[in-house]
Amino acid sequence: MGLLRYTVWRCLQAIPVLVGILTITFFLTNAIPGDPVSIMLGPTPSAEMVEQIQARYGLDRPLHERYFSYLAGVAQGDLGHSIYYDVPVLTKIIERLPVTAYLVFSAFGFALLTAIPLGVISAKRRNEPVDHVSRIVALIGVSTPSFWIGLLLIIVFSFQLGLLPATGLFLPWADPANVRGAATQFDVVVESFKRLLMPMVALGTLQMASITRIERSSMVDSLQNEYVKLARAYGVDERGVIWKHAFKPAQLPVITIVGLGLSTALGGAVLIETVFEINGMGRLIIQAINNQDYPLVMGTTFMLGALYLVGVIITDISYAYIDPRVSYGEK
Amino acid sequence: MMAVHETQGEEEFADEPTEGGVDEVEARVGLAYTLKQVKRDSTARMGFYIIAFITAIAAFVSIDYYLLDYAMAKAIPFLHHPERDPEVINTLLPPVGMENGLGSGTWEHPLGTDHRGRDILTRLIYGTRIAMTVGFMATAIGLVGGTLVGAVSGYYGGWVDDVLQRITDTIYAIPFLVLVIAFMSAFGRDISYAMVGVGIASIPVFNRLIRSRVVSIREEEYIEAAKAAGVKDRNIILRHVIPNSFAPVLVQATLQVGVSILIVAGLSFLGFGAQPPTPSWGQMLAASRNYMLPAPTFSIWPGIAILVTVVAFNLLGDGLQDALDPRINN
Repeated sequence: MGLLRYTVWRCLQAIPVLVGILTITFFLTNAIPGDPVSIMLGPTPSAEMVEQIQARYGLDRPLHERYFSYLAGVAQGDLGHSIYYDVPVLTKIIERLPVTAYLVFSAFGFALLTAIPLGVISAKRRNEPVDHVSRIVALIGVSTPSFWIGLLLIIVFSFQLGLLPATGLFLPWADPANVRGAATQFDVVVESFKRLLMPMVALGTLQMASITRIERSSMVDSLQNEYVKLARAYGVDERGVIWKHAFKPAQLPVITIVGLGLSTALGGAVLIETVFEINGMGRLIIQAINNQDYPLVMGTTFMLGALYLVGVIITDISYAYIDPRVSYGEK
Repeated sequence: MMAVHETQGEEEFADEPTEGGVDEVEARVGLAYTLKQVKRDSTARMGFYIIAFITAIAAFVSIDYYLLDYAMAKAIPFLHHPERDPEVINTLLPPVGMENGLGSGTWEHPLGTDHRGRDILTRLIYGTRIAMTVGFMATAIGLVGGTLVGAVSGYYGGWVDDVLQRITDTIYAIPFLVLVIAFMSAFGRDISYAMVGVGIASIPVFNRLIRSRVVSIREEEYIEAAKAAGVKDRNIILRHVIPNSFAPVLVQATLQVGVSILIVAGLSFLGFGAQPPTPSWGQMLAASRNYMLPAPTFSIWPGIAILVTVVAFNLLGDGLQDALDPRINN
């Protein structure tokens, strides 16, 4: 099976999982206590208005009918209509998703750029002081709540030192007219980066730590391989041994961890967006739950699940691409 | 019938493998063997002691909460009532030896006071109850659920396996925290729902582990022998398959308690965990968010409590992993 066919096959395999996510979110959100109609119309609505609203959102139909029409809608790209914001759910998601993507991708960028060198050095200098330090950093990193790191960063860099703004995040290509105090696009880019730094570090620390751990153990294994010994025996210098021979085969477990970490990071974004008051997907989901806006709860949960699946598929494909032994799912 | 006898012998042996003449490889699944290995590993030992200490505090605090109506908290000199606002209200005091705009720290409140004038140290100590209860219980739910699903799935294979694995894949695909929040918004913002929600969300973790073990064990000769001897499937799973997966599950469960504590802290921070005035670390951090400028130390203590607890579980988990890994042992 070729790489393209493998890709298509993996995408098809994701469909039942997507339907499963929709099913779980549908039945969970329809079990939410409280009535969205009463939230919209206040405590004493007229019976006529209640009927009108229920008909509008299809709440007068039986549960299974609503479920199948929801599935049919999603298949056609319609995630429903937000009760609270009175716009299509998809519109709201498209508005909020880019900031979350910006935050999550930057967090992974930060994590990879720090974790890979740290893990490799740690493996190379095993049981030396630098290895102990990096292992302690990684241990603390996987054990610290990300939102607490966020709070500490705000206390130090915003409140004590006054260096970075504590809240809000926008994209570097935002319109300067919408950004206070920005005259040119360059100002927007700088301001956007300043606002990105703290949430990026807070969200990326856990990923950094878990990638460092796996990079280290994978490199330790890799450096014990026969072909590495052979390369050394042939007089390849240490730098060449590490980067040319040992590094690449050691990256497969790292890729797996990055793929799995995407799920943690998307969940972590809920916390980090709350701490830094960032209007992304994570905050949207909390707001949707607090407003009992269940079409929006379903839509955002589904979207986060779908994003994770895309990440997993990319992971699998890059795995197949890097490791020629992966037989593209053939048994 | 021989196979059945051997089975029972092995199951007992999983708990008390101290009998002589035991094969070295089989001994690796035993609890006593594990404890012996942990004792030899200094980091695992440290993790174990910290966990034992915090668990003891949590037990003490739980007795005081459930049975004594905080009588102990009132009786012990350095503790205060963990929930009620004090009569003399000194809000947001700094720790002893420090000063902030609202006053200077005293030995009365070694770590300072919160926004309602309650003693932070007392609330940290009483916060162990929520953290440890939820950490252990959620892991237990995930462990039991995941073990059952994984064992059945791996042992039977075929369509049972397909259906169960697609369901757990689905649960796994929704980000952990988001799934638990959705679950809690459906059932209620009570800490017991947080516990169940985190437990259900961690079923896929144990499922994967057990399933892969079961698939490899299924082909072993002694399972074939047990089958040939007419032992029921249920007994084969309970007496052979599950005890033989003991080591990796123990490691994963230890790490998972730490993960659960982190998740529950996050839930409480978002307002989905323990509700005020019940002391919980995540909720203390949520409250401290509004006072980061006048009382920055308020935000520090609950985070340290979470960090130390989770580090302890990670130390023990890593130590166990090393202790039970045959490659490192030999």
